[in-house]
Amino acid sequence: MGTGRLSRIVAVAANTHREAVRERVLYNLIFFAILMILSGLLLGQLSIRQDEKIIKDIGLAAMDVFGTLIGVFLGVSLMSKEIERRSLYPLLAKPLSRDEFLAGKFFGLSFTLFVNVVVMALGLYATLFVTGRSADLALLKAVLPIYQGLVLVVAIAVLFSTLTSSALAAVGTVCVVVAGRYSDVVRNMRDVVPDAPAWLIEGLYYAMPNFRNFDFKNRVVYGDPVSWGDLGFVTVYWLLYLALTLSVAAVAFRQRDFQ
Amino acid sequence: MTAETTPALRIAGLAKTYRLGLTGSVTRMALAPLDLTVRRGEIFGYLGPNGSGKTTTLKILMGLVRADAGAVEVLGLDHADPAWRRRAGYLPEHPYFYDYLTPAEYLAYAGRLLGLARGEIAQRSEELLRLVGLSEARDVPMRRFSKGMVQRLGLAQALVNDPEIVFLDEPMSGLDPIGRHLVRNIILDLRERGKTVFFSTHILPDAETLCDRLALLRSGRLLKVGRLDEILAIDVSHFEVLASAGGPELKQAAVAAGANLTGEMGERWRMHVDEQHLPAVVAAVSAGGGRVLGVQPVRESLEEYFFREMGGNTARDPWALGD
Repeated sequence: MGTGRLSRIVAVAANTHREAVRERVLYNLIFFAILMILSGLLLGQLSIRQDEKIIKDIGLAAMDVFGTLIGVFLGVSLMSKEIERRSLYPLLAKPLSRDEFLAGKFFGLSFTLFVNVVVMALGLYATLFVTGRSADLALLKAVLPIYQGLVLVVAIAVLFSTLTSSALAAVGTVCVVVAGRYSDVVRNMRDVVPDAPAWLIEGLYYAMPNFRNFDFKNRVVYGDPVSWGDLGFVTVYWLLYLALTLSVAAVAFRQRDFQ
Repeated sequence: MTAETTPALRIAGLAKTYRLGLTGSVTRMALAPLDLTVRRGEIFGYLGPNGSGKTTTLKILMGLVRADAGAVEVLGLDHADPAWRRRAGYLPEHPYFYDYLTPAEYLAYAGRLLGLARGEIAQRSEELLRLVGLSEARDVPMRRFSKGMVQRLGLAQALVNDPEIVFLDEPMSGLDPIGRHLVRNIILDLRERGKTVFFSTHILPDAETLCDRLALLRSGRLLKVGRLDEILAIDVSHFEVLASAGGPELKQAAVAAGANLTGEMGERWRMHVDEQHLPAVVAAVSAGGGRVLGVQPVRESLEEYFFREMGGNTARDPWALGD
Protein backbone atom coordinates (compact mmCIF):
# COMPACT_ATOMS: atom_id res chain seq x y z
CA MET A 1 0.00 0.00 0.00
CA GLY A 2 1.52 3.33 -1.05
CA THR A 3 2.02 6.11 1.47
CA GLY A 4 -0.42 8.28 -0.50
CA ARG A 5 -3.15 5.69 -0.20
CA LEU A 6 -2.42 5.11 3.48
CA SER A 7 -2.37 8.84 4.13
CA ARG A 8 -5.78 9.26 2.49
CA ILE A 9 -7.30 6.37 4.45
CA VAL A 10 -5.89 7.82 7.68
CA ALA A 11 -7.30 11.26 6.78
CA VAL A 12 -10.81 9.81 6.29
CA ALA A 13 -10.47 7.70 9.46
CA ALA A 14 -9.31 10.72 11.50
CA ASN A 15 -12.22 12.80 10.25
CA THR A 16 -14.67 9.99 11.00
CA HIS A 17 -13.33 9.71 14.54
CA ARG A 18 -13.53 13.48 14.96
CA GLU A 19 -17.17 13.45 13.87
CA ALA A 20 -17.94 10.63 16.30
CA VAL A 21 -16.24 12.46 19.16
CA ARG A 22 -18.24 15.60 18.40
CA GLU A 23 -21.52 13.64 18.43
CA ARG A 24 -23.12 14.18 21.83
CA VAL A 25 -25.00 10.88 21.66
CA LEU A 26 -21.69 9.12 22.05
CA TYR A 27 -21.07 10.76 25.41
CA ASN A 28 -24.58 9.89 26.53
CA LEU A 29 -23.99 6.22 25.82
CA ILE A 30 -20.69 6.24 27.68
CA PHE A 31 -22.47 7.95 30.55
CA PHE A 32 -25.07 5.18 30.61
CA ALA A 33 -22.41 2.50 30.45
CA ILE A 34 -20.66 4.02 33.44
CA LEU A 35 -24.01 4.22 35.19
CA MET A 36 -24.46 0.51 34.64
CA ILE A 37 -21.09 -0.21 36.20
CA LEU A 38 -21.98 1.92 39.20
CA SER A 39 -25.30 0.12 39.57
CA GLY A 40 -23.34 -3.13 39.55
CA LEU A 41 -21.32 -1.75 42.40
CA LEU A 42 -24.50 -1.01 44.31
CA LEU A 43 -25.88 -4.51 43.65
CA GLY A 44 -22.58 -5.96 44.69
CA GLN A 45 -22.96 -4.47 48.12
CA LEU A 46 -26.29 -6.21 48.49
CA SER A 47 -25.07 -9.71 47.58
CA ILE A 48 -22.80 -11.49 50.01
CA ARG A 49 -19.63 -13.02 48.41
CA GLN A 50 -21.05 -12.58 44.91
CA ASP A 51 -20.28 -8.87 44.74
CA GLU A 52 -17.15 -9.14 42.60
CA LYS A 53 -18.81 -11.43 40.06
CA ILE A 54 -21.87 -9.18 39.83
CA ILE A 55 -19.75 -6.08 39.26
CA LYS A 56 -17.75 -7.83 36.52
CA ASP A 57 -20.85 -9.36 34.98
CA ILE A 58 -22.81 -6.12 34.77
CA GLY A 59 -19.74 -4.15 33.71
CA LEU A 60 -18.98 -6.49 30.80
CA ALA A 61 -22.65 -6.72 29.82
CA ALA A 62 -22.90 -2.91 29.80
CA MET A 63 -19.79 -2.72 27.67
CA ASP A 64 -21.30 -5.20 25.21
CA VAL A 65 -24.81 -3.74 25.04
CA PHE A 66 -23.82 -0.06 24.91
CA GLY A 67 -20.95 -0.82 22.59
CA THR A 68 -23.39 -2.55 20.22
CA LEU A 69 -25.77 0.43 20.38
CA ILE A 70 -22.90 2.81 19.65
CA GLY A 71 -21.69 0.54 16.87
CA VAL A 72 -25.09 0.37 15.14
CA PHE A 73 -25.79 4.06 15.62
CA LEU A 74 -22.41 5.33 14.46
CA GLY A 75 -21.92 2.74 11.75
CA VAL A 76 -25.22 3.55 10.09
CA SER A 77 -25.39 7.29 10.70
CA LEU A 78 -21.81 8.24 9.89
CA MET A 79 -21.77 6.27 6.66
CA SER A 80 -25.30 7.05 5.49
CA LYS A 81 -24.95 10.75 6.25
CA GLU A 82 -22.02 10.97 3.85
CA ILE A 83 -24.22 9.59 1.07
CA GLU A 84 -27.54 11.24 1.93
CA ARG A 85 -26.10 14.70 2.63
CA ARG A 86 -23.71 14.35 -0.28
CA SER A 87 -20.65 15.34 1.72
CA LEU A 88 -18.70 12.59 -0.03
CA TYR A 89 -19.17 14.17 -3.46
CA PRO A 90 -16.27 16.63 -3.28
CA LEU A 91 -14.16 13.97 -1.58
CA LEU A 92 -14.61 11.32 -4.28
CA ALA A 93 -13.77 13.94 -6.92
CA LYS A 94 -10.31 14.09 -5.34
CA PRO A 95 -7.76 11.30 -5.78
CA LEU A 96 -9.59 9.22 -3.18
CA SER A 97 -10.98 5.90 -4.40
CA ARG A 98 -14.24 4.51 -3.09
CA ASP A 99 -12.36 1.60 -1.51
CA GLU A 100 -10.10 4.06 0.34
CA PHE A 101 -13.10 6.04 1.52
CA LEU A 102 -14.84 2.90 2.77
CA ALA A 103 -11.68 1.68 4.50
CA GLY A 104 -11.20 5.09 6.12
CA LYS A 105 -14.75 5.16 7.44
CA PHE A 106 -14.44 1.61 8.78
CA PHE A 107 -11.11 2.21 10.52
CA GLY A 108 -12.30 5.54 11.93
CA LEU A 109 -15.40 3.90 13.40
CA SER A 110 -13.41 0.94 14.71
CA PHE A 111 -10.95 3.28 16.38
CA THR A 112 -13.82 5.20 17.98
CA LEU A 113 -15.21 1.94 19.35
CA PHE A 114 -11.74 0.99 20.57
CA VAL A 115 -11.52 4.24 22.53
CA ASN A 116 -14.98 3.58 23.97
CA VAL A 117 -14.20 0.02 24.98
CA VAL A 118 -10.93 1.18 26.57
CA VAL A 119 -12.76 3.91 28.51
CA MET A 120 -15.42 1.46 29.68
CA ALA A 121 -12.83 -1.20 30.59
CA LEU A 122 -10.87 1.38 32.57
CA GLY A 123 -14.11 2.33 34.31
CA LEU A 124 -14.71 -1.30 35.24
CA TYR A 125 -11.14 -1.78 36.48
CA ALA A 126 -11.35 1.47 38.46
CA THR A 127 -14.56 0.25 40.10
CA LEU A 128 -12.98 -3.07 41.07
CA PHE A 129 -9.80 -1.37 42.27
CA VAL A 130 -11.56 1.33 44.30
CA THR A 131 -13.81 -1.22 46.02
CA GLY A 132 -10.85 -3.47 46.81
CA ARG A 133 -11.86 -6.38 44.59
CA SER A 134 -9.51 -8.38 42.41
CA ALA A 135 -8.86 -6.54 39.16
CA ASP A 136 -6.93 -9.19 37.25
CA LEU A 137 -5.94 -9.03 33.61
CA ALA A 138 -8.04 -12.12 32.82
CA LEU A 139 -10.96 -9.75 32.31
CA LEU A 140 -9.31 -8.64 29.07
CA LYS A 141 -9.99 -12.11 27.68
CA ALA A 142 -13.67 -11.13 27.73
CA VAL A 143 -13.10 -7.51 26.69
CA LEU A 144 -11.11 -8.31 23.55
CA PRO A 145 -13.83 -10.55 21.99
CA ILE A 146 -16.45 -7.94 22.94
CA TYR A 147 -14.47 -5.40 20.93
CA GLN A 148 -14.14 -7.84 18.02
CA GLY A 149 -17.92 -8.31 18.02
CA LEU A 150 -18.46 -4.56 18.02
CA VAL A 151 -16.14 -4.07 15.04
CA LEU A 152 -18.13 -6.73 13.21
CA VAL A 153 -21.33 -4.81 14.05
CA VAL A 154 -19.77 -1.70 12.49
CA ALA A 155 -18.77 -3.64 9.37
CA ILE A 156 -22.36 -4.91 8.99
CA ALA A 157 -23.71 -1.37 9.49
CA VAL A 158 -21.30 -0.06 6.86
CA LEU A 159 -22.35 -2.83 4.47
CA PHE A 160 -26.06 -1.99 4.84
CA SER A 161 -25.32 1.73 4.50
CA THR A 162 -23.68 1.17 1.13
CA LEU A 163 -26.76 -0.71 -0.06
CA THR A 164 -29.72 1.29 1.19
CA SER A 165 -31.06 4.31 3.09
CA SER A 166 -30.10 5.02 6.71
CA ALA A 167 -33.47 3.85 8.10
CA LEU A 168 -33.37 0.52 6.26
CA ALA A 169 -29.67 0.15 7.03
CA ALA A 170 -30.40 0.52 10.76
CA VAL A 171 -33.23 -2.05 10.58
CA GLY A 172 -31.08 -4.47 8.57
CA THR A 173 -28.12 -4.14 10.92
CA VAL A 174 -30.23 -4.65 14.03
CA CYS A 175 -31.89 -7.70 12.46
CA VAL A 176 -28.55 -9.33 11.59
CA VAL A 177 -27.06 -8.51 15.00
CA VAL A 178 -30.09 -9.88 16.87
CA ALA A 179 -30.21 -12.98 14.64
CA GLY A 180 -26.47 -13.43 15.19
CA ARG A 181 -26.85 -13.21 18.93
CA TYR A 182 -29.64 -15.78 18.92
CA SER A 183 -28.29 -17.99 16.17
CA ASP A 184 -29.54 -21.10 17.96
CA VAL A 185 -33.07 -19.84 17.40
CA VAL A 186 -32.32 -19.65 13.69
CA ARG A 187 -30.91 -23.17 13.69
CA ASN A 188 -33.92 -24.55 15.54
CA MET A 189 -36.39 -22.72 13.35
CA ARG A 190 -37.66 -26.03 11.95
CA ASP A 191 -39.18 -26.76 15.35
CA VAL A 192 -41.46 -23.77 14.81
CA VAL A 193 -41.77 -23.93 11.01
CA PRO A 194 -41.51 -27.64 10.12
CA ASP A 195 -42.05 -27.02 6.40
CA ALA A 196 -39.10 -24.67 6.06
CA PRO A 197 -36.46 -26.21 3.76
CA ALA A 198 -33.40 -27.46 5.61
CA TRP A 199 -30.99 -25.81 3.16
CA LEU A 200 -32.60 -22.43 3.86
CA ILE A 201 -32.29 -22.82 7.62
CA GLU A 202 -28.70 -24.03 7.36
CA GLY A 203 -27.86 -21.29 4.86
CA LEU A 204 -29.29 -18.60 7.14
CA TYR A 205 -27.48 -20.03 10.14
CA TYR A 206 -24.09 -19.93 8.43
CA ALA A 207 -24.69 -16.62 6.68
CA MET A 208 -25.39 -14.83 9.97
CA PRO A 209 -22.31 -14.04 12.02
CA ASN A 210 -22.54 -15.98 15.27
CA PHE A 211 -22.06 -13.30 17.89
CA ARG A 212 -22.16 -15.94 20.64
CA ASN A 213 -18.65 -16.88 19.58
CA PHE A 214 -17.50 -13.54 20.99
CA ASP A 215 -19.18 -14.05 24.33
CA PHE A 216 -16.63 -15.09 26.95
CA LYS A 217 -18.21 -13.07 29.74
CA ASN A 218 -19.54 -15.91 31.88
CA ARG A 219 -16.42 -18.03 31.49
CA VAL A 220 -14.17 -15.17 32.54
CA VAL A 221 -16.39 -13.99 35.40
CA TYR A 222 -16.86 -17.48 36.83
CA GLY A 223 -13.21 -18.39 36.44
CA ASP A 224 -13.48 -21.02 33.67
CA PRO A 225 -10.22 -21.09 31.75
CA VAL A 226 -10.15 -19.27 28.40
CA SER A 227 -7.15 -20.42 26.39
CA TRP A 228 -5.30 -18.35 23.81
CA GLY A 229 -6.36 -21.05 21.36
CA ASP A 230 -10.01 -20.18 22.02
CA LEU A 231 -9.27 -16.51 21.40
CA GLY A 232 -7.23 -17.38 18.30
CA PHE A 233 -10.13 -19.36 16.84
CA VAL A 234 -12.49 -16.45 17.46
CA THR A 235 -10.01 -14.05 15.89
CA VAL A 236 -9.75 -16.15 12.73
CA TYR A 237 -13.56 -16.38 12.58
CA TRP A 238 -13.75 -12.63 13.12
CA LEU A 239 -11.20 -11.83 10.41
CA LEU A 240 -12.94 -14.07 7.88
CA TYR A 241 -16.33 -12.50 8.56
CA LEU A 242 -14.86 -9.01 8.45
CA ALA A 243 -13.13 -9.70 5.14
CA LEU A 244 -16.33 -11.14 3.68
CA THR A 245 -18.57 -8.31 4.94
CA LEU A 246 -16.21 -5.53 3.87
CA SER A 247 -15.57 -7.12 0.47
CA VAL A 248 -19.31 -7.24 -0.26
CA ALA A 249 -19.60 -3.64 1.00
CA ALA A 250 -16.72 -2.54 -1.27
CA VAL A 251 -18.26 -4.20 -4.34
CA ALA A 252 -21.68 -2.65 -3.59
CA PHE A 253 -20.12 0.78 -2.96
CA ARG A 254 -18.10 0.64 -6.19
CA GLN A 255 -21.26 -0.12 -8.20
CA ARG A 256 -23.36 2.60 -6.63
CA ASP A 257 -24.51 5.64 -8.62
CA PHE A 258 -24.87 8.79 -6.51
CA GLN A 259 -27.81 10.35 -8.34
CA MET B 1 0.35 16.48 -29.16
CA THR B 2 1.98 18.33 -26.25
CA ALA B 3 0.43 18.78 -22.85
CA GLU B 4 -0.33 22.41 -23.70
CA THR B 5 -2.14 21.56 -26.92
CA THR B 6 -4.19 18.63 -25.68
CA PRO B 7 -7.72 19.68 -24.79
CA ALA B 8 -8.50 20.24 -21.14
CA LEU B 9 -11.45 17.92 -21.52
CA ARG B 10 -12.45 15.52 -24.26
CA ILE B 11 -15.70 13.61 -24.10
CA ALA B 12 -16.64 11.02 -26.72
CA GLY B 13 -19.92 9.13 -26.86
CA LEU B 14 -20.69 9.56 -23.16
CA ALA B 15 -24.11 8.11 -22.38
CA LYS B 16 -26.16 7.32 -19.31
CA THR B 17 -29.54 5.76 -18.69
CA TYR B 18 -30.77 5.47 -15.12
CA ARG B 19 -32.55 2.32 -14.06
CA LEU B 20 -35.30 3.02 -11.58
CA GLY B 21 -37.40 0.93 -9.26
CA LEU B 22 -36.51 -2.23 -7.37
CA THR B 23 -36.03 -4.35 -10.46
CA GLY B 24 -34.52 -1.58 -12.58
CA SER B 25 -37.09 -2.26 -15.27
CA VAL B 26 -38.04 1.43 -15.58
CA THR B 27 -35.39 3.41 -17.42
CA ARG B 28 -34.79 7.11 -17.85
CA MET B 29 -32.37 8.38 -20.45
CA ALA B 30 -30.25 11.03 -18.73
CA LEU B 31 -27.58 11.57 -21.35
CA ALA B 32 -27.62 10.69 -25.03
CA PRO B 33 -24.19 9.96 -26.52
CA LEU B 34 -22.32 13.21 -25.90
CA ASP B 35 -19.26 14.48 -27.74
CA LEU B 36 -17.59 17.59 -26.41
CA THR B 37 -14.17 19.20 -26.32
CA VAL B 38 -13.12 21.94 -23.93
CA ARG B 39 -9.94 23.84 -24.74
CA ARG B 40 -7.30 24.77 -22.25
CA GLY B 41 -7.65 28.17 -20.65
CA GLU B 42 -11.25 28.80 -21.59
CA ILE B 43 -14.37 29.36 -19.55
CA PHE B 44 -16.85 26.84 -20.84
CA GLY B 45 -20.51 27.19 -19.95
CA TYR B 46 -22.70 24.11 -19.80
CA LEU B 47 -26.28 25.28 -20.11
CA GLY B 48 -29.65 23.65 -19.95
CA PRO B 49 -32.89 23.66 -17.99
CA ASN B 50 -33.43 21.46 -14.95
CA GLY B 51 -33.27 17.84 -15.94
CA SER B 52 -31.28 18.45 -19.09
CA GLY B 53 -28.34 16.28 -17.99
CA LYS B 54 -25.87 18.91 -16.78
CA THR B 55 -25.34 17.49 -13.31
CA THR B 56 -25.35 13.93 -14.63
CA THR B 57 -22.49 14.86 -16.96
CA LEU B 58 -20.55 16.45 -14.13
CA LYS B 59 -21.19 13.51 -11.83
CA ILE B 60 -19.92 11.10 -14.48
CA LEU B 61 -16.81 13.25 -14.91
CA MET B 62 -16.25 13.25 -11.15
CA GLY B 63 -16.80 9.48 -10.86
CA LEU B 64 -19.98 9.76 -8.81
CA VAL B 65 -22.11 8.14 -11.51
CA ARG B 66 -20.93 5.41 -13.88
CA ALA B 67 -21.47 6.00 -17.59
CA ASP B 68 -23.03 3.29 -19.73
CA ALA B 69 -20.74 4.11 -22.62
CA GLY B 70 -18.17 6.60 -23.81
CA ALA B 71 -14.65 7.80 -23.17
CA VAL B 72 -13.36 10.80 -21.25
CA GLU B 73 -9.94 12.39 -21.14
CA VAL B 74 -9.10 15.11 -18.65
CA LEU B 75 -5.91 17.13 -19.13
CA GLY B 76 -4.78 14.51 -21.65
CA LEU B 77 -5.17 11.65 -19.16
CA ASP B 78 -7.62 8.81 -19.29
CA HIS B 79 -10.56 9.29 -16.94
CA ALA B 80 -9.65 6.11 -15.01
CA ASP B 81 -6.19 7.50 -14.20
CA PRO B 82 -6.53 9.22 -10.80
CA ALA B 83 -3.53 11.46 -11.56
CA TRP B 84 -5.72 14.13 -13.23
CA ARG B 85 -7.73 14.51 -10.04
CA ARG B 86 -4.73 16.06 -8.30
CA ARG B 87 -4.87 18.81 -10.95
CA ALA B 88 -8.65 19.33 -10.92
CA GLY B 89 -11.21 20.94 -8.62
CA TYR B 90 -14.94 20.31 -8.24
CA LEU B 91 -17.77 22.23 -6.64
CA PRO B 92 -20.94 20.10 -6.48
CA GLU B 93 -24.44 21.52 -6.79
CA HIS B 94 -25.93 22.41 -3.37
CA PRO B 95 -22.80 21.33 -1.51
CA TYR B 96 -22.83 20.13 2.09
CA PHE B 97 -19.75 20.15 4.24
CA TYR B 98 -19.49 18.65 7.70
CA ASP B 99 -21.19 21.14 10.00
CA TYR B 100 -19.00 20.15 12.95
CA LEU B 101 -15.87 21.33 11.12
CA THR B 102 -14.55 24.85 10.67
CA PRO B 103 -13.56 26.07 7.19
CA ALA B 104 -9.88 25.83 8.12
CA GLU B 105 -10.34 22.22 9.27
CA TYR B 106 -12.25 21.30 6.13
CA LEU B 107 -9.66 22.81 3.81
CA ALA B 108 -6.94 20.94 5.73
CA TYR B 109 -8.88 17.70 5.22
CA ALA B 110 -9.31 18.40 1.49
CA GLY B 111 -5.62 19.26 1.21
CA ARG B 112 -4.59 16.00 2.88
CA LEU B 113 -6.70 13.98 0.45
CA LEU B 114 -4.95 15.80 -2.39
CA GLY B 115 -1.55 14.92 -0.94
CA LEU B 116 -0.53 18.51 -0.19
CA ALA B 117 2.16 19.25 2.39
CA ARG B 118 1.08 20.70 5.73
CA GLY B 119 2.73 24.08 5.07
CA GLU B 120 1.20 24.33 1.62
CA ILE B 121 -2.25 23.55 3.01
CA ALA B 122 -1.93 26.29 5.64
CA GLN B 123 -0.79 28.84 3.09
CA ARG B 124 -3.46 27.96 0.52
CA SER B 125 -6.18 27.94 3.19
CA GLU B 126 -5.32 31.47 4.28
CA GLU B 127 -5.24 32.72 0.68
CA LEU B 128 -8.48 31.03 -0.30
CA LEU B 129 -10.45 32.01 2.78
CA ARG B 130 -9.41 35.60 2.12
CA LEU B 131 -10.34 35.23 -1.56
CA VAL B 132 -13.87 34.00 -0.82
CA GLY B 133 -14.37 36.40 2.07
CA LEU B 134 -14.39 33.84 4.89
CA SER B 135 -11.22 34.87 6.76
CA GLU B 136 -13.25 36.12 9.71
CA ALA B 137 -15.14 32.82 9.89
CA ARG B 138 -12.12 30.54 9.53
CA ASP B 139 -12.61 29.00 12.99
CA VAL B 140 -16.42 29.08 13.13
CA PRO B 141 -18.17 25.68 12.91
CA MET B 142 -19.99 25.42 9.62
CA ARG B 143 -23.31 24.65 11.32
CA ARG B 144 -23.54 28.43 11.78
CA PHE B 145 -23.00 29.15 8.11
CA SER B 146 -25.57 30.59 5.72
CA LYS B 147 -26.16 28.91 2.37
CA GLY B 148 -24.03 31.53 0.65
CA MET B 149 -21.12 30.97 3.04
CA VAL B 150 -21.27 27.22 2.39
CA GLN B 151 -21.19 27.93 -1.34
CA ARG B 152 -18.13 30.15 -0.90
CA LEU B 153 -16.35 27.47 1.07
CA GLY B 154 -17.29 25.03 -1.68
CA LEU B 155 -15.46 27.19 -4.15
CA ALA B 156 -12.45 27.47 -1.82
CA GLN B 157 -12.16 23.68 -1.45
CA ALA B 158 -12.37 23.31 -5.23
CA LEU B 159 -9.33 25.56 -5.57
CA VAL B 160 -7.22 24.25 -2.68
CA ASN B 161 -4.78 22.45 -5.00
CA ASP B 162 -4.52 25.41 -7.42
CA PRO B 163 -6.13 23.20 -10.11
CA GLU B 164 -5.57 23.44 -13.85
CA ILE B 165 -9.23 22.68 -14.51
CA VAL B 166 -12.19 23.50 -12.29
CA PHE B 167 -15.63 21.93 -12.60
CA LEU B 168 -18.34 24.06 -11.04
CA ASP B 169 -21.93 22.85 -10.81
CA GLU B 170 -24.22 25.88 -10.50
CA PRO B 171 -21.57 28.00 -8.73
CA MET B 172 -23.90 31.00 -8.30
CA SER B 173 -26.58 28.99 -6.53
CA GLY B 174 -27.57 30.46 -3.16
CA LEU B 175 -25.37 33.54 -3.51
CA ASP B 176 -26.46 37.13 -2.99
CA PRO B 177 -25.45 39.77 -5.59
CA ILE B 178 -22.16 40.45 -3.78
CA GLY B 179 -21.38 36.74 -3.66
CA ARG B 180 -22.19 36.35 -7.34
CA HIS B 181 -19.96 39.26 -8.22
CA LEU B 182 -17.18 37.68 -6.17
CA VAL B 183 -17.56 34.30 -7.88
CA ARG B 184 -17.65 35.93 -11.31
CA ASN B 185 -14.37 37.70 -10.53
CA ILE B 186 -12.79 34.48 -9.27
CA ILE B 187 -13.80 32.67 -12.48
CA LEU B 188 -12.39 35.49 -14.62
CA ASP B 189 -9.19 35.51 -12.55
CA LEU B 190 -8.81 31.75 -13.09
CA ARG B 191 -8.93 32.32 -16.85
CA GLU B 192 -6.38 35.14 -16.51
CA ARG B 193 -4.07 32.62 -14.90
CA GLY B 194 -4.55 30.15 -17.74
CA LYS B 195 -6.89 27.80 -15.91
CA THR B 196 -9.84 26.06 -17.54
CA VAL B 197 -13.27 26.53 -16.02
CA PHE B 198 -16.16 24.21 -16.90
CA PHE B 199 -19.32 25.37 -15.24
CA SER B 200 -22.95 24.43 -15.46
CA THR B 201 -25.62 27.01 -14.96
CA HIS B 202 -29.13 27.95 -15.85
CA ILE B 203 -28.49 31.60 -15.00
CA LEU B 204 -28.15 32.89 -18.54
CA PRO B 205 -26.72 36.39 -17.88
CA ASP B 206 -23.82 34.72 -16.04
CA ALA B 207 -23.12 32.50 -19.02
CA GLU B 208 -23.42 35.47 -21.37
CA THR B 209 -20.90 37.59 -19.47
CA LEU B 210 -18.41 34.88 -18.50
CA CYS B 211 -18.17 32.17 -21.11
CA ASP B 212 -15.75 31.96 -23.98
CA ARG B 213 -17.74 29.06 -25.36
CA LEU B 214 -20.81 27.23 -24.27
CA ALA B 215 -22.84 24.13 -24.87
CA LEU B 216 -26.63 23.95 -24.77
CA LEU B 217 -28.27 20.81 -23.55
CA ARG B 218 -31.89 19.69 -23.64
CA SER B 219 -33.32 16.40 -22.43
CA GLY B 220 -29.85 14.90 -22.27
CA ARG B 221 -29.01 15.86 -25.83
CA LEU B 222 -26.49 18.40 -26.96
CA LEU B 223 -28.19 21.11 -29.01
CA LYS B 224 -25.33 23.40 -29.84
CA VAL B 225 -21.70 24.14 -28.97
CA GLY B 226 -19.69 27.22 -29.80
CA ARG B 227 -18.92 30.83 -29.01
CA LEU B 228 -21.86 32.92 -27.98
CA ASP B 229 -21.67 35.03 -31.14
CA GLU B 230 -21.53 31.88 -33.28
CA ILE B 231 -24.62 30.50 -31.61
CA LEU B 232 -26.57 33.74 -31.72
CA ALA B 233 -25.26 35.17 -35.03
CA ILE B 234 -27.48 32.99 -37.14
CA ASP B 235 -30.44 34.37 -35.28
CA VAL B 236 -30.02 38.05 -36.24
CA SER B 237 -33.61 38.49 -37.25
CA HIS B 238 -34.59 42.05 -36.65
CA PHE B 239 -33.28 45.58 -36.29
CA GLU B 240 -33.69 48.35 -33.79
CA VAL B 241 -34.54 51.66 -35.46
CA LEU B 242 -34.21 54.94 -33.58
CA ALA B 243 -36.18 57.80 -35.11
CA SER B 244 -37.06 61.38 -34.11
CA ALA B 245 -39.76 63.99 -34.77
CA GLY B 246 -43.01 63.22 -36.41
CA GLY B 247 -46.50 63.01 -34.99
CA PRO B 248 -48.98 60.21 -34.45
CA GLU B 249 -49.55 59.85 -38.19
CA LEU B 250 -45.90 59.12 -38.75
CA LYS B 251 -45.95 56.43 -36.06
CA GLN B 252 -49.04 54.93 -37.64
CA ALA B 253 -47.33 54.92 -41.04
CA ALA B 254 -44.25 53.20 -39.57
CA VAL B 255 -46.40 50.60 -37.82
CA ALA B 256 -48.31 50.05 -41.04
CA ALA B 257 -44.99 49.47 -42.82
CA GLY B 258 -44.16 46.71 -40.34
CA ALA B 259 -42.53 48.43 -37.33
CA ASN B 260 -43.15 47.44 -33.74
CA LEU B 261 -42.88 50.42 -31.35
CA THR B 262 -40.88 49.51 -28.25
CA GLY B 263 -40.34 52.81 -26.44
CA GLU B 264 -40.42 56.59 -26.46
CA MET B 265 -37.88 59.05 -25.04
CA GLY B 266 -39.23 62.56 -25.54
CA GLU B 267 -39.24 63.18 -29.27
CA ARG B 268 -37.32 60.07 -30.03
CA TRP B 269 -38.88 56.71 -30.39
CA ARG B 270 -37.56 53.23 -30.79
CA MET B 271 -38.97 50.39 -32.81
CA HIS B 272 -38.13 46.83 -33.75
CA VAL B 273 -38.36 45.99 -37.43
CA ASP B 274 -38.01 42.67 -39.25
CA GLU B 275 -35.33 42.52 -41.93
CA GLN B 276 -37.83 42.33 -44.82
CA HIS B 277 -39.78 45.39 -43.61
CA LEU B 278 -36.75 47.58 -42.92
CA PRO B 279 -36.66 49.51 -46.28
CA ALA B 280 -40.40 50.25 -46.12
CA VAL B 281 -40.23 51.50 -42.51
CA VAL B 282 -37.22 53.75 -43.21
CA ALA B 283 -39.02 55.13 -46.27
CA ALA B 284 -42.23 55.74 -44.27
CA VAL B 285 -40.33 57.68 -41.57
CA SER B 286 -38.50 59.82 -44.13
CA ALA B 287 -41.65 60.44 -46.17
CA GLY B 288 -43.52 61.58 -43.06
CA GLY B 289 -40.89 64.21 -42.18
CA GLY B 290 -39.15 62.21 -39.48
CA ARG B 291 -35.48 61.32 -39.24
CA VAL B 292 -33.91 57.93 -38.87
CA LEU B 293 -31.16 58.37 -36.26
CA GLY B 294 -29.87 54.84 -36.24
CA VAL B 295 -30.43 51.30 -37.44
CA GLN B 296 -28.84 48.49 -35.52
CA PRO B 297 -29.15 44.75 -35.94
CA VAL B 298 -30.57 43.21 -32.82
CA ARG B 299 -28.99 39.96 -31.84
CA GLU B 300 -31.20 37.65 -29.94
CA SER B 301 -30.20 37.45 -26.29
CA LEU B 302 -29.10 34.11 -24.93
CA GLU B 303 -32.25 34.10 -22.87
CA GLU B 304 -34.46 34.59 -25.92
CA TYR B 305 -32.54 31.92 -27.78
CA PHE B 306 -32.79 29.59 -24.83
CA PHE B 307 -36.53 30.03 -24.51
CA ARG B 308 -37.05 29.56 -28.21
CA GLU B 309 -34.94 26.40 -28.32
CA MET B 310 -36.50 24.99 -25.19
CA GLY B 311 -39.96 25.86 -26.46
CA GLY B 312 -40.43 28.16 -23.47
CA ASN B 313 -41.59 25.17 -21.53
CA THR B 314 -39.14 22.78 -19.99
CA ALA B 315 -41.92 21.02 -18.11
CA ARG B 316 -42.67 19.00 -21.20
CA ASP B 317 -39.53 17.00 -20.54
CA PRO B 318 -40.94 13.86 -19.00
CA TRP B 319 -37.89 13.44 -16.80
CA ALA B 320 -37.41 17.03 -15.68
CA LEU B 321 -37.18 15.87 -12.10
CA GLY B 322 -33.62 17.02 -11.52
CA ASP B 323 -30.40 16.75 -13.43
